[in-house]
Amino acid sequence: MSTNEKNSKTILEYISEWSRKHSLFVMAYGTGCGAIEIPSTMTSRYDAERFGIRGAATPRQADVLLITGYLATKTLKRVIRVYEQMQNPKYVIAFGSCTINGGMYYDSYNTINSLDRYIPVDVYINGCMPRPEAVISGFVKLQEEIAAGRCHKGEKYIENLEWYRANQKKIIKNWRMPDYNW
Amino acid sequence: MENLEKENNILLEVQNAFKIKGKVIRDRRVEVMVSKDMVSSVLLFLKNQKGFIHLAHIACIDFIEEGEFQLVYVTWSPEQKIHVMVKTRVDRENPVMENIDNIWDQANTYEREMREMYGIEFPGLVGDHEFILEDWDEMPPMRRDFDTHAYAHKTFYQRPGREDAQDVRETITKRSGEVIPEYAKKYSRE
Repeated sequence: MSTNEKNSKTILEYISEWSRKHSLFVMAYGTGCGAIEIPSTMTSRYDAERFGIRGAATPRQADVLLITGYLATKTLKRVIRVYEQMQNPKYVIAFGSCTINGGMYYDSYNTINSLDRYIPVDVYINGCMPRPEAVISGFVKLQEEIAAGRCHKGEKYIENLEWYRANQKKIIKNWRMPDYNW
Repeated sequence: MENLEKENNILLEVQNAFKIKGKVIRDRRVEVMVSKDMVSSVLLFLKNQKGFIHLAHIACIDFIEEGEFQLVYVTWSPEQKIHVMVKTRVDRENPVMENIDNIWDQANTYEREMREMYGIEFPGLVGDHEFILEDWDEMPPMRRDFDTHAYAHKTFYQRPGREDAQDVRETITKRSGEVIPEYAKKYSRE
């Protein structure tokens, strides 16, 4: 790779993206009903550890947050708090059709219909629930996005924080959350 | 032909003690219609003297056409293996029902759910008003005149592309050639 190419990356960027995409630590938080597919993805039949994916205990130690399914407004408040505690670079994968357009619960008084307005999402996996093969293909797509350099949404969240906060505060009425000063 | 002797015996014993209407629905299911004041006496009679020591569930049905809620107390006897369902009607405008917390402890949870989801009051009920929903200040959401579709469209951002979604009930009735009855048409979403 010569540095005369148009979309060239430096050697340092190449090595850092390569190492990030091959070791993804997944936050151990099952948000909704899609969390039933995570154990079967991690165990020996559809082994996810050969991609470097393993679980992390706390948000400070995690890279990827999996939003597996519907999000009630009660859960959304806690998920925002978890997402803001994760450190850059961080990625979000959204499972299922409930995150895309509301899914089965599109007319429920309690669940949100489109996840993109509240936290930034990198990869959507459709299905209800996606099978383990689909989950692994979602992780492979995330690896391609990281290698192409399109996954800097953690920094974009900080830049567009007022827009995200306005959307969140419209839904969560009793806003008793800490102010993060990154 | 099933042997419904045990169920008929239970029904006769309850009807001899109280003057109430009842029916044996099928094997292992007996239902009894009670007025609101006599509910705790019937439940205590069943619990202490007939061996129906387990309260399985308290359910609520919204009869909006008649202006009443129907509460169903489902009890179970482990020796005879019969469910007895005690059904009462509560007025819908000002719903107040007796608290049976001192008979069975698990009634506390069911009654708190009724208070939050239907708005039925139980005087003397101990527990936080906020049970499942957080920061909820609209009308109780499980009542039938609460329009969840309109509320969801007003509150949450809808991703475009879903406008041509079909109603499930209309699609299935068109496909199988049935007709939706008149009393159900009012709640069609057209």
